Parts: sequence; C-alpha cells; structure tokens
Amino acid sequence: MHSKIRDAEIRALIRADDPWEPVGPTPMPTLMDLRNWDLRLLSTYEPFYAPFCDLCCLCTYGKCDLTEDRKGACGIDMASQQARWILICCLMGTAAHGAHGRHMIDYLIEKYGEDFPINLGTQVNVEAPIIRTVLGVKVETLRDLRTAIEYVEREFIHLVSATHTGQEGNYLDFESKAFHAGMLDHVALEAADIAQIAGFGYPTSVADTPLVDLGWGIMDSTKPTIVVVGHNAVTANAIIDYLREHDLYGKVEVGGICCTSHDVTRYASGAKVIGPLSQQRFFLKTGLADVVVTDEQCVLLDIPQMAKETGAAMIACSDKISYGLENASERPADEIVREVLEEQKQFLILDPQKAAEVVVRAALELAPKRSAQKQLLTEAEAAALAAKCRGTCELCNRTCNSLLPVAAAVHQAGQGNFTKLGEVFRRCHGCGRCEQECINQIPILRLMQAAAARDTFKMRSGRGPIHDVEIRKVGSPIVLGTIPGVVLFAGCSNFPQDIDDVAWLAEELARRKYIVNLSGCAAMAAAMKKDDEGRTIYEKYIPEFDAGCIVNVGSCVANCHVVGAAIKIANIFATLPNRANYELISDYILNRVGACGVVWGPYSQKALCIGTGAVRWGIPIVLGPHGSKYRRLYMSKKEMGDWTVMDGRTKQLVDTGEPTPEHMMVVTESKERALVTIIKQCFRRNDTPPGRAIKLNSYISAYKQVMGTLPDDLQNFVRTDKDIPIVYKREVVAYLKEVGWQPKPVLSLPTIIGTYETKVPIEATIK
Amino acid sequence: MASETMVMPYYKVNVLTGSKAAKVIDVPADGVAIINKAKNPLYVFGEEVIATPVGDRLLIDFALEIAKSRDIAICATAHVKKKMLELGVKPDSVYDIIEIVHFLKMKEWSGVRGKGFHDLVLFTGVRCDLAERGLATLKHFAPHLKTFAICRRSHPNADFAVPVLVKVDKWREYLEDMIRTLGATKPA
Ligand code: SF4
Ligand code: SF4
Ligand code: SF4
Repeated sequence: MHSKIRDAEIRALIRADDPWEPVGPTPMPTLMDLRNWDLRLLSTYEPFYAPFCDLCCLCTYGKCDLTEDRKGACGIDMASQQARWILICCLMGTAAHGAHGRHMIDYLIEKYGEDFPINLGTQVNVEAPIIRTVLGVKVETLRDLRTAIEYVEREFIHLVSATHTGQEGNYLDFESKAFHAGMLDHVALEAADIAQIAGFGYPTSVADTPLVDLGWGIMDSTKPTIVVVGHNAVTANAIIDYLREHDLYGKVEVGGICCTSHDVTRYASGAKVIGPLSQQRFFLKTGLADVVVTDEQCVLLDIPQMAKETGAAMIACSDKISYGLENASERPADEIVREVLEEQKQFLILDPQKAAEVVVRAALELAPKRSAQKQLLTEAEAAALAAKCRGTCELCNRTCNSLLPVAAAVHQAGQGNFTKLGEVFRRCHGCGRCEQECINQIPILRLMQAAAARDTFKMRSGRGPIHDVEIRKVGSPIVLGTIPGVVLFAGCSNFPQDIDDVAWLAEELARRKYIVNLSGCAAMAAAMKKDDEGRTIYEKYIPEFDAGCIVNVGSCVANCHVVGAAIKIANIFATLPNRANYELISDYILNRVGACGVVWGPYSQKALCIGTGAVRWGIPIVLGPHGSKYRRLYMSKKEMGDWTVMDGRTKQLVDTGEPTPEHMMVVTESKERALVTIIKQCFRRNDTPPGRAIKLNSYISAYKQVMGTLPDDLQNFVRTDKDIPIVYKREVVAYLKEVGWQPKPVLSLPTIIGTYETKVPIEATIK
Repeated sequence: MASETMVMPYYKVNVLTGSKAAKVIDVPADGVAIINKAKNPLYVFGEEVIATPVGDRLLIDFALEIAKSRDIAICATAHVKKKMLELGVKPDSVYDIIEIVHFLKMKEWSGVRGKGFHDLVLFTGVRCDLAERGLATLKHFAPHLKTFAICRRSHPNADFAVPVLVKVDKWREYLEDMIRTLGATKPA
C-alpha cells in the first residue's frame, strides 16, 4: 500500500529531485505494484507444478492430504501449496543474499563510514542498474547500498507474512510474490557485490582478470593450509591481510570452496580455488586442511565433526552458522589460540581480524604436527577398506540422489580397480549418504581419494560488472539478433552427469558466437575440462562481454552483473529511462534482449530465487534435471498458446503466432537437449530477419549435431523466408513445405505493454 | 491383477510422501491387460533407453517391441531421436520430458497423432528422479489419463508400476514376458 507519507519517504530516500532521470512509475515497488506485470507473464507462461510431497504439515490442523483435487483444512489446494512452498524457498534465498549484503555493508560502513564512495572505475558509469531500475536511486555511497538492503528488508516481512496459514490462497498470487522475492534478491545481490568491489578493491573496469589455480590437487599441503568455506569473504580477506602484514603471504596456503573462493581470489590471486560445493565433504575428509574456516551459505553442517576426525582446527565466523560453539569474539587471541591447540576446541569468532589472527597462528602451529593426517589414502589402503563389499546389497545406490553406480564402483575398488570410482567421483555431489547406509561401514568418500584424478586447472577470477563501453558495442547486435544470445551459467554443482558438462555447453555456445558468462560453482566446474593442448575454456576464450567470449563474473552475488548487462542494453544502448521503471525495462528484455540463464546443477533455494527473479525481468531459465525438485516451472503452450503482442509503433495488437521466448523456466533431461533449448530460449520477437537467420543457423546446427535432423518445431520460429539461414535453405524450404508452414508477421517494436493494465504508457516503449 | 501398492521404490529420492501410490504390476500379463484396454496410448522414451544395456541388447530394443506390438505412438525425449533414427524408427513426436508431461496435463491437447488426449502413458528410460516428478504432475493434474512406469526401479507416483527388479535377468524376463504376452493377446 502506498500512502502520502510513504511516498514522501521514498522520494527522500531516492533523492527524487536529483535530475539524472525522471522518476518512473514504480519507485521501491510494493507487493502490488508489479502484480499486473506478473499476472501478464503468468498468463503466457503458466506455472507447472511437480509436487515433491502430497501432504502439508505446516500447521496443527494437518497433516493434510492434498492429493489430486483435495483441499487442506485451511482450504488450500495442491497448486497453491506448491506455489506457497516456492515462495517460502525463494524467501530463504533472498534472506541469505540479503543478510549477506547487510553484513557486508554494515562491516564496510563501520570501517569506512557511510559516505564511502562507490566507484566502479572508468568503464562503469551505470553503477547499479538493478537498484536504479527497482528503487530509483543512483548509488553514490555505502549509505545508498544500505538503503537498498533496507528496502529489501521492508518488503520481505510482507512476503513472509503471506505464507502463514490463512493468508494468500491463490497460486498465481503466490507466484507473483515469489517474483517479488526474486526481484528483491537481485537488489540484494547487486548491493552485496558492489559493496565488496568498492570496499575490498575487487577487480572492476578490467576484463582481463588473472588466471587463478583451481582443483583439489592444487593445494600444496606441505605448507600450513587454511581452507575457507562459504560465500561471505569478509574473514577470508582478513586472513589475506594478516598474511600480508606478517610477511606470510605465499608461505601459507589459502584455498576456498564454493563462492568464498571466488571472492578471495578476486582479492588475492595467490589464493586458490579448491572446487565447487559438490567437493566440499570429499576435500574436508582428506585432512589436507590444517584449519577450516566457515562463513555462510551452503556450508556443510558436519564440518565441526569432520575437522575433529582429521585433527584440523575449526573456526566458524558467521552468526548464521554458530554450530553450538562458544562465541569467543571478545576473548584475547592468545587465549583462543592456546585452547585451539591444547584442547582442540572449536570457536565462533565474529570479529574478522581476530578470527584471521587465530586461524593463521593455529595453522602455523598445527601444520608441522599434522603431516601424518595429511597423507592421502593409497590405492592399496583403499582397496583393503573396500574389500568387504560384494557389490550386491546396493544400499549405497539406492540412497544416492545422483543415481550413481556406487556399488559396482566400490566393489571394483575392492579388487584394485579404481576406474569406475573415479567416474563416480566426477558425478558425485559428496552428500555422504552412501557411506552412511553402507552395511560394512566402508568410508566411500575417503576411498575416492585413491580414485579422484588430481588434475589442476586455470580459472579466470571473477571480473564483476560488465562495462558500459562493452554494452555500447554489443547492444545493437544483441537487439538485432546478430549476436545470437547472452547466456549465463549460474548456480550450484548438483549436476546430473559429469562435472565437465558445463564446460561442454559453454564451449558449444561460445564457438557459435554467443556471449557466455559464468558465475559461482558453475564457473568453477567450467574450468574442469582441458582441450588437447591442456587449456581450459578460460585460457582459450577472450574474457570480454562480446560474441564468442567467455566471462567469469564472479561469485553468486555477481550474478547481478549479467542481469545488469541486460538492463544496461535497454538503458545505455536503447536509451530507455530505467529509473523506477521496472516494467518498461523488463518488457524490453523480454522482447528484445536474447538472454538466457542456465542452472545446470541446481540445488539451493538461492539458485531458485535468482532464477525466479530473472524470469520477472523477462529472462528465461533452463535447469538441469535436479531442478524438477524445485517443483515449479513456467511453461507456455507453445504453438497452442496465444502469442498476441502489441506493435508499439502502430499500437495495434498483432498475433505473432510465434512462441518466443518459448518457456520461462524449463528442465531438460540431457546436456544435448539443454544445448538446443538454451539456443531456442535466446530467440526474441524483435530479431531482425538477418538476426533470426543467425539464431536459426545455430539452432539447426546444434539440433543436427545432437538429434540428427532439422528441428521438429522449426516452423514455429521461421517468420518469413528471410529468416531462413542460407546454409540450410534448400532443406528448410522443403521441410516447411511439407509441414504446411505459413509466414508470420515480423514486428519492429514488439511489446506486451498495452496488453494488460499498467501505468506505463505505450509511448514509453518508443525511443 | 495388481494387488499391492508401491511402498519403497529402488531410489530413496522417489519415496512417496502421500497417500496414493502406484499399483505394483507383479505379473507382466497384467501390464499387458492394461495396455490392451487403452484406446489411445502413448509411450515416452527417456534418454536411458539408448544408454542402458539389458543383457546383450539395449533397453530401446525392448521398448520398441512393446510399442510396435500395439502401434503405440512414441514420444522421444532428451536426445533419443538420433539413436531411434539410426535404428530406422521415426518417433511420432519429439519433446523433452517435462514438455510432454506439460502437454499431457491438458485434456484439450490433440495428442501426438491428433486423435485427442492419451488415456494411457507408458514411460521407459526417463531418468528416475525426473520421471517421478513428471508422474507426480500427472497424478495430481491429469485425472483424464493413467500412467504406467515400465522401469525396474519402480515409481510410486505412477498409477501402475513394475516392481523393483534389482537383477537385470529378472528385468529382461519381465520385458520378454510382456512382449510375448502382447504377441499372444489382442487389444480389447
Ligand atoms: S496449512 Fe492448511 S493444508 Fe497445511 S496443514 Fe495447515 S490446514 Fe492443512
Ligand atoms: S556421496 Fe556421492 S556417491 Fe555417495 S550418495 Fe552422495 S552423491 Fe552418491
Ligand atoms: S552399501 Fe556398502 S557393501 Fe553394499 S554395495 Fe554399497 S558399498 Fe558395497
């Protein structure tokens, strides 16, 4: 709800009189402000639900059985319950990023003051495209970033409230609220990443960031070894500072798992990336770390136990994961170090500088005493441990959510053959459930030490924002379609098959001249494949935001920069005003910017939330098979759907007959299918005939590669014969004739503004 | 006919948290009776049909025999189409698994051969966790059709499911028995 007082408050917060752009219709939008936009999107892309659980047990009226058309005691039906669950999960994701941003910003304000300027370098003038578009504020200082996080917090309480029993009851409204949560999440991502770039001096305005070492085999454990796990690098960076101040940088090994490793290597390229989330438990069980440091998000909850088992010290640094440990933040470092070493005590330390001192001093002391615990299992030892397995009870297989042939692999390992176990390792996400079930208590994850290749790789460290000058260069070819698409591989490492499939997909697209971006665990996985000359894709492709290039934007919070690039295309290239102009910009992206997000290994609520937020911006998402367990997708009826849009120039409704983008969130079963689906999701109604011909050229070539024929739905995407790629002209024409294809209209200004009730005038789409 | 309901499938990830579970079709002939009753069946082939051996043959060989015996329309998901074409069989339709489930949900959809909605949908070779999600969608949102998961890992969200068959030999026997019975019986 808006009130005069709130509106005045918003105007003050966004400095409305600041003349950089007129304030658009939706500054700091509330739950209701973008609802019509959401319902319009959802009318074309209906929610598809795959219930994971048929019951609801949220309140004491339950359990309620919602099977088929049953309703719960509160009146909720299955679709709405799925949508409510989605909203709850999206809120978890938003909260994780939002609290992360809040911590980072508060820490930096404490350190530098709230007037600390946000300067992203000479190449980045539109510093915070998401915050500008959503809130309407131009970010100048840390205070403005705090304003952004406070806006997220304010909206958040209303969204959480809607999940209570007897509140929201309609699935479409739950979805609209999930979109809102997703949008807030993107605000939080941008606030967090900009804060850390400005506050820690991470790379910005430079594309060619350093190549850093990656792989579990890269850690030189002959040195004191510190491993940082999580997503919030405040303490990890303080460790680097401590090492530098004490002339220990390079003498102590610092490696990270998950996004903290991205951010610590953005801070110090001598730090190492051990690997993605999926290798967390495997690595911690090797005992190579002398000290394990946890911060937040996607951190395993049995790390204290694993550290104890390997004789490593362990320090937790986040109030979100306190593990029941004593909070030693106020105690003298000497005392803590003594208890860590003499009593093997584990502590929670919320003061990053103190934590850094304790961690480094403990590592220096422990390393010489732990050489025996740092020995990896030999093949002979592993075979002896596996010897009892006959490979027949298969309890390990049955409990493996990656559906891996663990039994056969362990059985073969028992006979001294580690090939299959090596393959299992590459597909394993390290949950440890198999060894928990094993009737012979075989330590399966430890056996993998003898099977896992100790290859090392190079990954380009995260580069942060896409530069305004890059946007100026690629804006036109993206919107015309002659650069066939912008693809972001984001998210986690719950991959369906081999870990290097992300690299395969990225390369298939880069060589077809897509602009390929990566972040988070996906960016790490993409480094884990080498060509015949031993190069990873980061060594092979130029790290620019341009056709046929490959960019690592950074950690999960850096995902904002790819969404930001799509906004900047509308704002910088097309000069559409973005200030508090959410619908106008999203409509532009939906109709004109051929962007697609891919989460090939989806696992977390954060990834769900990021994806849901992307859809509200008009960016389609392709998920790997585990994404089906998120239980909701957004799919059109394809050729059966209504594809009527407005022609912005004539202000006439036009039935385009063209399902583009085809779906807004879809799961694909295999990497081959993912490839053709990603290519298709980059089609846009605005593509010019030469642009569409280039996109169809990619689609046909990829489809032939993986399916052996012309695409079965080609007729949906050829609008006129000018769209047909020359290379395939003859066979496409013959095919279109066979299926009775009819030409479709090509619009020069397609928009859905004007097809639903909105404050945005249709004239606003014309520039 | 089927007597038990599916309690524990092979994969724990597919354990049902609910009250309506698949009927277990212990006897292949009972499965054939279900197929024989169908007026407009569809057979969905998942990626494992082209990658999984059953003895010295591929799973797709068995699935194709079942489909051919009653001229059941085939939907090739994932990238199965390529292998099918190599085997000289053109699938009736090509969708990815989630897309075909999405269409099956709509009673008004014309079906892959334009004969209206499918009243029975057979599934083989779809990645087990993904298949189970799709089957859950159809259980709740497609009351106009029945599903039969012809998969040795078993699927509680289907209407009908093969029992868990850990041994490949038993699985092969099951499939061969089905094919034999299809040959010896006629559609209703
Ligand atoms: S929230 Fe509704 S459906 Fe869930 S247990 Fe309570 S009454 Fe039942
Ligand atoms: S640890 Fe790996 S192999 Fe074992 S159950 Fe988990 S994913 Fe499967
Ligand atoms: S559970 Fe243990 S004993 Fe059984 S097959 Fe798996 S590894 Fe072997």
